[in-house]
Amino acid sequence: MIEVDAEKCSGCKKCVKVCPYGAVTMADKLAVIGDECNLCGACEQNCPEGAITIQRKKVEIDESKFKDVWVVAEIAENKLKNVTLELLGKGRELADELGQTLCAVLIGKDVKSYTKVLGEYGADKIYLAENDLLEFYNTDSYNMIISGMILQFNPNIVLFGATHVGRDLAPRIASNLELGLTADCTGLSIDEGRLLQTRPAFGGNVMADILSHTRPQMATVRPNVMKKLESPTDKVPEIVEVSVNVDPRGMRTKVLERTEISGVGAVKIDEADVIIAGGRGLGSKENLKLLQDLADELGGVLGASRVIVDEQWLPKSQQIGQSGITVSPKLYIGAGISGAIQHLVGMKSSDTIIVINKDPNAPIFEVAKIGVVGDLTQVIPALIEAIKAHKAAQ
Amino acid sequence: MNIQTFSEEQDLFRESLREFCEQTIVPRRTELEDKKEIPDDIIKAMAEFELLAPSVSPDFGGAGFDAVTAGIAAEELARADPTCSIPVLYLVQCSWGHVFNKFGTEEAKGEILPKVTKGEAICGIATTEADIGSDLGNMVTTIKPTDKGYVINGNKNYISGVREAAKYGGGHVTLARQDLEAGTRGMTMFFFPLKDVPGVTISEDEEMGREAISTGGFIIDNVEIPKHYLIGEENKGFYLVHIGYEYARGLIALVCVGAAMKSIENGIAYIKERKAFGRPIGKYEAIQFALAEHYTRLEMARDFAYKALYYLEKEQSEGKYSRMEVSKIIAMSKLLTPGWAFNAIDDAMQWQGAFGYSRECPDQSALRAIRSFTLAEGSREIMRLIVARELLGKDFIAYK
Amino acid sequence: MKIVACVKQVPDTTEVKIDEKTGTLIREGVPSIINPFDQFAVELAIKLKEEHGGEVSVISMGPPQAKAVLTKSLALGADKAVLLSDRKFAGADTLATAYTLALAIEKLGDFDLVLCGLQAIDGDTAQVGPEMAQRLKIPQITYAENVVFEDNKFIVDKLTESGLEKLQVKPPALVAVITPSDFVPGNPPFSKIMKAKKKPLDTWTADDLGGDPERFGLNGSPTWVKRVYSPPRKEKGEILTDPPEEVAKRLVEILAKEGFL
Repeated sequence: MIEVDAEKCSGCKKCVKVCPYGAVTMADKLAVIGDECNLCGACEQNCPEGAITIQRKKVEIDESKFKDVWVVAEIAENKLKNVTLELLGKGRELADELGQTLCAVLIGKDVKSYTKVLGEYGADKIYLAENDLLEFYNTDSYNMIISGMILQFNPNIVLFGATHVGRDLAPRIASNLELGLTADCTGLSIDEGRLLQTRPAFGGNVMADILSHTRPQMATVRPNVMKKLESPTDKVPEIVEVSVNVDPRGMRTKVLERTEISGVGAVKIDEADVIIAGGRGLGSKENLKLLQDLADELGGVLGASRVIVDEQWLPKSQQIGQSGITVSPKLYIGAGISGAIQHLVGMKSSDTIIVINKDPNAPIFEVAKIGVVGDLTQVIPALIEAIKAHKAAQ
Repeated sequence: MNIQTFSEEQDLFRESLREFCEQTIVPRRTELEDKKEIPDDIIKAMAEFELLAPSVSPDFGGAGFDAVTAGIAAEELARADPTCSIPVLYLVQCSWGHVFNKFGTEEAKGEILPKVTKGEAICGIATTEADIGSDLGNMVTTIKPTDKGYVINGNKNYISGVREAAKYGGGHVTLARQDLEAGTRGMTMFFFPLKDVPGVTISEDEEMGREAISTGGFIIDNVEIPKHYLIGEENKGFYLVHIGYEYARGLIALVCVGAAMKSIENGIAYIKERKAFGRPIGKYEAIQFALAEHYTRLEMARDFAYKALYYLEKEQSEGKYSRMEVSKIIAMSKLLTPGWAFNAIDDAMQWQGAFGYSRECPDQSALRAIRSFTLAEGSREIMRLIVARELLGKDFIAYK
Repeated sequence: MKIVACVKQVPDTTEVKIDEKTGTLIREGVPSIINPFDQFAVELAIKLKEEHGGEVSVISMGPPQAKAVLTKSLALGADKAVLLSDRKFAGADTLATAYTLALAIEKLGDFDLVLCGLQAIDGDTAQVGPEMAQRLKIPQITYAENVVFEDNKFIVDKLTESGLEKLQVKPPALVAVITPSDFVPGNPPFSKIMKAKKKPLDTWTADDLGGDPERFGLNGSPTWVKRVYSPPRKEKGEILTDPPEEVAKRLVEILAKEGFL
């Protein structure tokens, strides 16, 4: 549990300030840890006197038994997802630092052709499981197969994309094998031979570095955060075919109907490099046209704050934010979005953020690289004209 | 008594109500002002949330609020609706619903109150006349017993909810003189319907604020009402009218606190952002001192308002505390709070400069609305007389 | 139909602010609320109960003050509630939390459906649902927007990244929900709150649950937080207030420099 050494505590209140749970109070100039404490360790790390200690059980891990960095590949619409390639990029770094092999796990029906690209983007080895019943993702079958592979091959690290599929599957496997799992990582590095997993919490207001004391160390990783290899190699990976028996009776959920959204949702918003997002300040549905024109000029896709989706001007697939999709494109242009924290959480890790809003006090200006105070119905047409002129001049 | 300790249920109710207001009322302020009425769908939503005459017992469709819970609702509604039209409808029906529920005949209660709590009828209060307000003993409206009931003649003025009662149905708890020789001791209280009643002529007045609830008058020309519309006993109305007034005064204090606190919060947000001479105006002492003072007053007023309602509740439900004790403490609450609230809103507007004076700023609605409460349901002058009377004793009753 | 809904009390992250000087969270005055996705789970459970009969139990793991979210769930129409509260549960990561909740669900008895929010707004992990489902050995559907019950099966609308799926699963199952865009959270009126007061609300400790004490809380958590810190703050951006044509010129300059044109 957690203890405060009364001898050492100087009553400096540093712990009170750093506690994200508001669990530390002072009584008689001594820190007192309340029921809200979640043992996150913020006070322990920040105490200048070393007066706070959390007793953790000692865990012995035989590191030599676990080798290699795995990336679980994901395919959507006959293509490897970007996040898979990004994970290979990061995985390459981690594997090299550890002196281990980078492996991809590839599951599906007739998916062998993807091994080439996986190799080009960094994979040394591919664990391949093919079966006609694996055409579409199913929690039960994929859980069974990957859990089995992990038990058979003892990887050191297993990474998943923090996609709808990855976030459905990874925790299922973690629970099956009783492993630690860190969600939605935005940073991964090696710390004394262990995988240091960095993730945002409290709506992105704090960051946490997390370690697992089970092996393999597992994490899901946000799309668009890691970088894929800039110049793919022509490496031909080793392929390990894993034979699998899939019993359809074990697949307990059954898809009755699948509706794909085309048009606006055709390019996945979390895979887009450029997003032009609109919010309440658009005023009318007609002004979406302005955003679409700008998106066309920049090769981007449309995104929206919640209110636009509630008004049904754009489908839910375009909603950015806490109750929608988290994006981190290279360029995000937000027009008429004030920047409620629910929206900010979903976009603030974008590389270049440009916002246009009438209200100079809109919170979205806080995260913007360029903030334009002005009327979007004037600024955007002017911008489109200027882009056209720029293109013509080249 | 530590009045700040609300029950867990009351805390949850406040939280639930605040969400309800955020969803249902907050986005509609300008609509209330523009249309000068409370839209039907809000009335319906309020009925579903048990905010219409909630002091009425569950037997007649009410929620059975105690006075402190009623105060919580008054405060939250006022935070949400700076025009105070909804709070006025609420406090009138809550206060006079209580009196009706407690002293009305079973027959009349069964006939009227379930409709009121469903939003299908209004229950207002009508005592004021063209020439009298505080001195009820001089009113001209009369009530005379007949074989079947009572005949009423006279007029009422500056009455809230007249148009609504004529539209939805329902009517007003009304006071008239029965024994003309007995002054205030000869007054009788009854329920007077306003919808489609021959002999009743309704008029409307325009007010400075709270535009979404009507104010108006009605002339009563030889209108007969049934016997079961009598509230309490004949010639005992003056006593009953004070219970309703005190209920309303107690709630008014919290309407004032709710609206003013919200304005102060708006002001705080503004002065932290708005810059003048290179720094946020919240850094200036002139603003800080005023802010500190208003906030302190409002917090004190708030605590005292709940204490006063607690006394009223204990008196009404358990007979604890005397009528006079309750009159005094309620009067103290009503005496200073509307003025404090008005001044707080006035300064919050001042901080917001030209924006504060614009129609877009909710605080100007609040200012116009709150001004009415130094008058309504007992002017601050009368509050002073009540407090002084209780402190000095009967021998010092003013004007006698 | 027996339904268990899992709820969590969370700080309202929309109200959390950062102290600009110290970079730490300002939690003072930040209200605690029921996790919004969980409220939808509770209301969906109540709707299913109203349509098909049965009972809704609500469970939450947290400090004693987390009772408030259970009382709210009862006021919304749930039938009974259990708070799992014990110092031994503190420091639980998602695996230990799932272990604890699953034990409680088993202790409640047979069930047809476990409903929970996809994720909590203070952690955003979305792991507890699937981890519970695995422990309970039942199928799961995540990212669900609606559940109906037909011919002894649950039909679930699931949001995928490219559209929608209609899935079918037999009870017992776990469904982790997100709030559909037309969801308006219900607010219980006073009489329902007073009724909730009379409904059973128990508190269970680690001893009540049985199970392996080594798997609760920090001891049972395979992940440890090494460090918590404020994210590096971005430098203040450039603010443009010029006329549209001037602004457009500057924007094109930047877009060109960053390689977007």
